[in-house]
Amino acid sequence: MEFDYLATVLLSSLASASILLIATIGLAVVFGLMGVINLAHGEFLMIGAYTALTATQAGVPFLLSIPIAVAVTMAIGAVIEILVINRLYGRIFDTMLATWGISIAFYQLAVLIFGTVTPGIGMPQYSIKIGDYNLAGYSLLMIFVAALMGSFVYLLMTRTVYGMKARASIQEPAMARAIGIESSRVNTMTFSLGCGLAGFAGAILLPIVPATPSMGFAFVIKAFLTVVVAGPVTLTGSAIAAIGLGGGASITASFLTSVAGDVFFFLITAVLLWLFPLGITAGWRRKM
Amino acid sequence: MFKVSNATGGYGKTVIIRDVSLQVGKGEIVALLGRNGVGKSTLMRYATGLISPMAGTLEIDGRTAPASTAKRVRLGLGYVPQGRFVFQRMTVVENIAVAAESNGHDGKASVEAAFEDFPMLVPKAKDLAGGLSGGQQQILALARALAIRPRILLLDEPTEGVQPSIIDEMAGVLKRLNRERGISVLVAEQDLDFCLSIAERAYVMEKGSIRLEIDRDSLKADAALQHELLGV
Repeated sequence: MEFDYLATVLLSSLASASILLIATIGLAVVFGLMGVINLAHGEFLMIGAYTALTATQAGVPFLLSIPIAVAVTMAIGAVIEILVINRLYGRIFDTMLATWGISIAFYQLAVLIFGTVTPGIGMPQYSIKIGDYNLAGYSLLMIFVAALMGSFVYLLMTRTVYGMKARASIQEPAMARAIGIESSRVNTMTFSLGCGLAGFAGAILLPIVPATPSMGFAFVIKAFLTVVVAGPVTLTGSAIAAIGLGGGASITASFLTSVAGDVFFFLITAVLLWLFPLGITAGWRRKM
Repeated sequence: MFKVSNATGGYGKTVIIRDVSLQVGKGEIVALLGRNGVGKSTLMRYATGLISPMAGTLEIDGRTAPASTAKRVRLGLGYVPQGRFVFQRMTVVENIAVAAESNGHDGKASVEAAFEDFPMLVPKAKDLAGGLSGGQQQILALARALAIRPRILLLDEPTEGVQPSIIDEMAGVLKRLNRERGISVLVAEQDLDFCLSIAERAYVMEKGSIRLEIDRDSLKADAALQHELLGV
């Protein structure tokens, strides 16, 4: 009985940590790797969610709507990079202002097109029983999705030529050009990839997080803090930070209240940033 | 084969090099001498296109070089900057492979070729470049530049902070590559011995301009100039 409860809490906390990680990985690429503070990250998540929603409403199977959402957000991301971000590398405050503007525009656009309230999608609800407790199957599935997504980005960045070029362009932009990398093209690709990952998150989370114009706000603050706590070894750091902060907050919330969970999240973040101002991975010698 | 004509450039509105012209022939090793702050590094960055020119042109193999740094690399311009600038959070293998792949060469084969030229990198193959010693990073930066298969190699202070045994090894490899593959080299240096051991000819820079051009034997004979260059 007691064990069942503990197992349920642990699994559901791991699931919410995974959901945080899924929402964060795109940002880990754009902010953690490129150093661009993309305040529109949440809106790309929202665009992914609405794309998947619209596609399923048009009769496309949900699984197929996910790649569509990725394609749409990647395309929009590429256009935004070429038109705006491209001119602002190394100018953090200008980038923040520009992406903030973009986020407001996307939010309003979503309100105009879809209204402020939208129905969720009717997904068959599976659940898993542990003793007397029920766990939503889809949330548990997110643990695997997060692991898959993390592995995908890790392999893409460490095992492919594109990944090497992307890391080189980010670590030493001038030197990357001096060995023949067209870094502006690579940066467009990387930013677009980050937006695509956000779109993927919005789509895959659609059955548990319904699409609303303001859904981005709910994720973006915690996602940012996770990446900032993670520090320079972006991907591994984000996974650890998401599990520690997101999972810890969720455990706290299930024993106390959801407010206590948020308090835990922000308090631990503050303490970690006080102890490790450059992120928990600042002293690590690892690639990603 | 490599020709800078009337180069004027600098940072922002500050002019650092003024009306510099020099050339390096095919298979030639030429030194660029001068004390700190005379504009040697700026001239190197001018040649790579990393700073935008205020005036002047660059020719590689008789063709006017394009403005883009990456496109100049395609024409065979290799560059080892002062301070090395290896990709710190990438392994030794990746540092070399990414340079090769970016120019359409096979990464694996290029890494193997680099390991033959520089056996000291082999035990460090899987290490992150940021963890190497200064001398090892310098060798890696050189191996990376060679992986693009350059026809002209620009070396900016390659001996700075490097232990003497590695400097000797570097000189040996450069002479061999120059002989075997006909790679031209322009090397900016303060280490006169290193330059005299590899270069046939030298330009001496002063206050952002070329003061004189001198061959190796005349430089060897001119003790006064040597003293001046060494700052003694």
